[in-house]
Amino acid sequence: MKYCKSCHVHYDTDLEHCILCNGELEQEGDQISVYKFSDITKRSASRFFNRFFIFINVISALICLYLDLISGLPLTWSLVVTITNIYVIVMFTVLAVPTLWTSKMTKSIIVTVMAIILIGLAIRDYSWAIDFVFPIAVGTNIFLISLLIITNKKKWYDYFAGLTIITLIGLIPGLFNLIHLTTQRVPSFICFSYALITLLGIIFLPSKSSREEFKRRFHV
Amino acid sequence: MRWCIQLKKKKYWYKLDNAGKIFPAVSKDDRSNVFRLSFYLDEMVDPIILEEAVNKILPRFETFAVQLKNGLFWNYFAANPHEFKINIEPAQLCKYFKPMNNRGYLFKVYYLNNKITLETFHAITDGAGALHFFKSIVYHYFKLRGFNIDHEGKILSEKPYSRKESEDNFVSNYDKDKRRNLKEEKAYHIEGEHFSHHWFLFVKARVNTKALIELVKNKYHASITQFITALLAYSIFKETNDFIGNKKPLKIFVPVNLRPYFDSITLRNFSLYIKGTYDSNRTDWTFENMLELTKEQYVDQLDKDKLQSRISSLVGFEKNALLRIMPLFIKTIAFKIGYNILGESISSCSISNLGIVDLPTGFKDKITDVDFVNAAYGLSMTLISLEEHTNIIFSTPVKEMAIINHVISFLVKEGLDITIDTNFKEGYDEIL
Repeated sequence: MKYCKSCHVHYDTDLEHCILCNGELEQEGDQISVYKFSDITKRSASRFFNRFFIFINVISALICLYLDLISGLPLTWSLVVTITNIYVIVMFTVLAVPTLWTSKMTKSIIVTVMAIILIGLAIRDYSWAIDFVFPIAVGTNIFLISLLIITNKKKWYDYFAGLTIITLIGLIPGLFNLIHLTTQRVPSFICFSYALITLLGIIFLPSKSSREEFKRRFHV
Repeated sequence: MRWCIQLKKKKYWYKLDNAGKIFPAVSKDDRSNVFRLSFYLDEMVDPIILEEAVNKILPRFETFAVQLKNGLFWNYFAANPHEFKINIEPAQLCKYFKPMNNRGYLFKVYYLNNKITLETFHAITDGAGALHFFKSIVYHYFKLRGFNIDHEGKILSEKPYSRKESEDNFVSNYDKDKRRNLKEEKAYHIEGEHFSHHWFLFVKARVNTKALIELVKNKYHASITQFITALLAYSIFKETNDFIGNKKPLKIFVPVNLRPYFDSITLRNFSLYIKGTYDSNRTDWTFENMLELTKEQYVDQLDKDKLQSRISSLVGFEKNALLRIMPLFIKTIAFKIGYNILGESISSCSISNLGIVDLPTGFKDKITDVDFVNAAYGLSMTLISLEEHTNIIFSTPVKEMAIINHVISFLVKEGLDITIDTNFKEGYDEIL
């Protein structure tokens, strides 16, 4: 133990100076006090690199937009770069946040499809994105999660939210068909039908445990 | 083993309680909403046995063996089937953690030399609930170490499980007719340079409980919490430059354990804040008149009807139809914005008194000291008593010792013998 003559307090730690008055502490008796906490360690530089990564992506997008703008023509290639840069940042965040890998996969597919549609709009040719990429990517995701639930029934409730969300998104290509936004209707129709069947399956084929899961997920 | 009375369940789930609903949305690195309990043992901790002890008692504590899940409208707690893993104690107190990196669990168990620490995310429980869980962990640790200690009915894991332990007593004490408008004005804030890396300074002042009680009861005719609240208020009045003349009053929040008031044994959150409020326009404050005001405010606020009225108002808010049907992601954004605007602005600092840690006789020699830390913004004080001594603990992210210095000096002048411990090391103020 140590003692501060000025503040009249004892110290049960290995400080040399009083934290109240900065006076030198006196050793008191034979009992040696020790520091009872972990020492601070050097902080990892990952945060700096995360911020730097976002910074260089934003800067490169702004430079490209500026160069494209001063050319006097409508923005095209710079929009592709900007969308790609934003996509990289979002994907980086999606993958870095700790969560279930099925959730990461679903989010990644949604973000990728959105980025592809935006690139299609930027180059004034989005039909390939809406006609093929969107329905095929979403349909594949529904299939993969369904397969996962069938093969890993014990953990099905972990995949439930992902399946519900991606199934609802899978209905959108049908809407695109309806409002004549698509030129090739077959992939969208297949995706819509598959999503609808899955959704009806979720609603009308529930076991007792899936009813319970509904109750949990949708409690108000 | 006796705790097998509680059969292990795998599919239970709970709605978050009223106090816990906001924490998942607003917690982050510099606002962890995590609090700490530590026991110092008379021997070095064996991490393998400690981990075994935690996993043995977890099935008995259903409200702790959970993981946070997202619903469409609200978060909820679902059974967590994963094995719990303990860690070595980090340097940062009450560190924010992502449950996903902790096998879904919303509490951490750390070890360091002879110390066992439980850090709990406030969404699952409050100090009283966590203390029951922690005592059970340490009791089983010693049992597994081969000690035969009589629990004397003081260790919850040795008692039969009651469903009342999992009850949301905010909801069960809700009375629609008792709701009232809860309007809070903004409070004075202790400002200053912060330590970097979200590091908190911890200063523990150990005093003799008998001497403290004698001082508080005989000289000031107050309770320990009233005395400490007034002392903190007086120290802020004396040691800050911007309090006098500040338009905002000083408001010290003090959580009250509601269990004795409402005959509750829940392990979930069941506490409410009362507050000491002090006018910043007054320049003639003395310690004595601050203490008198504190006593009056405590008597006024610690009224069962008034507490129930506040419970009803809080629960009434979450029963609002518009709020209920709002999707979770919108609620999360709204909670974040609301908390940033209002949450921290209504309180200056907090004092939490967990009282005496009641341990079985055979257990007392094995535990030499105890810590209770609540790392919040500004300055937090916590009190916890073990055997003949009481620990008055300060924690702050601010590089400022004046208020702490004033509190300790006041106690020394009143004749108390004080022993200080801290997580501060020479040079930390330069590197942090």
